[in-house]
Amino acid sequence: MDALPIVILVIVLGLVFDFTNGFHDTANAMATSVATGALKPRVAVLISAVLNLVGAFLSTEVATTVSSGIVREGEGGVHISAAMIFAGLVGAIIWNLATWYLGLPSSSTHALFGGLIGAAIVGSGFDAVDWFTVLSKIALPALFAPLVAGIVATVATYSAYMITKRATSTGAERGFRYGQTVSASLVSLAHGTNDAQKTMGIITLTLIATGYQQAGTGPHFWVILACALAIALGTYSGGWRIMRTVGKRITEVTPPQGFAAEASSAATILVSSHLGFPLSTTQVTTGAIVGSGLGKKLASVNWGTFGRMVLAWIVTVPAAALVAGVATLIVSTGAVGTIVVVLAAFGGMATFWWLSRRTPVTRHTVNEDADVLDSRPAAVAGGAK
Amino acid sequence: MIAWGSLGIEFVVSLVSAVGVVAIFALALRLLAVGAPEHVRLGVAGGVEQVADGELPLQHARPTWASLGAYLCFAVDIAVVLFGLWLIIPQFH
Repeated sequence: MDALPIVILVIVLGLVFDFTNGFHDTANAMATSVATGALKPRVAVLISAVLNLVGAFLSTEVATTVSSGIVREGEGGVHISAAMIFAGLVGAIIWNLATWYLGLPSSSTHALFGGLIGAAIVGSGFDAVDWFTVLSKIALPALFAPLVAGIVATVATYSAYMITKRATSTGAERGFRYGQTVSASLVSLAHGTNDAQKTMGIITLTLIATGYQQAGTGPHFWVILACALAIALGTYSGGWRIMRTVGKRITEVTPPQGFAAEASSAATILVSSHLGFPLSTTQVTTGAIVGSGLGKKLASVNWGTFGRMVLAWIVTVPAAALVAGVATLIVSTGAVGTIVVVLAAFGGMATFWWLSRRTPVTRHTVNEDADVLDSRPAAVAGGAK
Repeated sequence: MIAWGSLGIEFVVSLVSAVGVVAIFALALRLLAVGAPEHVRLGVAGGVEQVADGELPLQHARPTWASLGAYLCFAVDIAVVLFGLWLIIPQFH
């Protein structure tokens, strides 16, 4: 039972990752609803949290491979050990917190894949990674998600404005807010069915690999419950930093735009997950919001903010891989190394939390447009604003 | 292999469904405004800032065909949302 400590670490870090996944992605569904005033901030995160919780229970069919084929697992490939998963999780969590601190929406899935890639490369060399799958499952979707959702939202926003040009402004605005609430809720539910599953899968596969669970069996109830609660709590805690960027800093979202953006996101996500070319929720919703800015008026998109996001998306996989790679190196030295990584990981989390306290963004200030974030050294994010 | 075909289909289906839902919803809102006095029908797109509820009369005489049309549009959108729920919830299929 040597594996027990590392299994416990994977479970704890898996749940921490699930939590960061939740608060990272609250903005996807709810940022525009909060920005247009369709929902009060606290109500928005509550709805999103409940739907994520429900979604996690609805869909418990976990993957059979940790990395969805990105790392050559199994026969003739590498064996993904619990230690590698642990290192991968460390990389993913640290990168999620870094982007959260900078208020940048980035894909938690990509962070996790990046972490696993880094751990696999250091553990078994470059051959361990199926680079073609990296291209087809990470790089291309990342390119197409914002493009597809952006074009869809541009056309949708334009038609919403054209059709309601001569409708009463109060009636139409109120109507669009209702519509937006419904479409944002669909995005939240879809998110819950997708994202909580990833952590369930990782924990379950680790339990199977270390002999604590029989192969071929589904996730234990306590795993489902813990993952569902972790992602819901993360969602409820509300990533206000990211929400402010998405809701206020890309474009000034009005009710018709908010509705068009959320409807486009919901449609793109649902269609993509059913037609076999899954796209990142984060990149879809961000692209849709940019599109809604373009559909209203070509000039009303803050390209500086968008540029920084794109940069964060490009850096996500390598950055998480780097952290995970270093973690793998240290872990491979033995028990002391593992303890060092654990301490460093929690130290890193505490540091980002402490840094965020210096320029806090709460539900009370989420709609403020004060450029607090931008007055800090933008060089960290590589932004040219 | 990279599924270029499904990407193309995906784009078209997303575009048609999202724009369809939004346009139908917008049409419903437009139909609800039929019969409102000219000075009330200020365009949302006309640069008019959000007006506080109650400042403008929301009630006005509306022809029956406009009401029916609006309800029909809402019904279509509700059906689409239900289909979306059906897609999301794996227990249904």
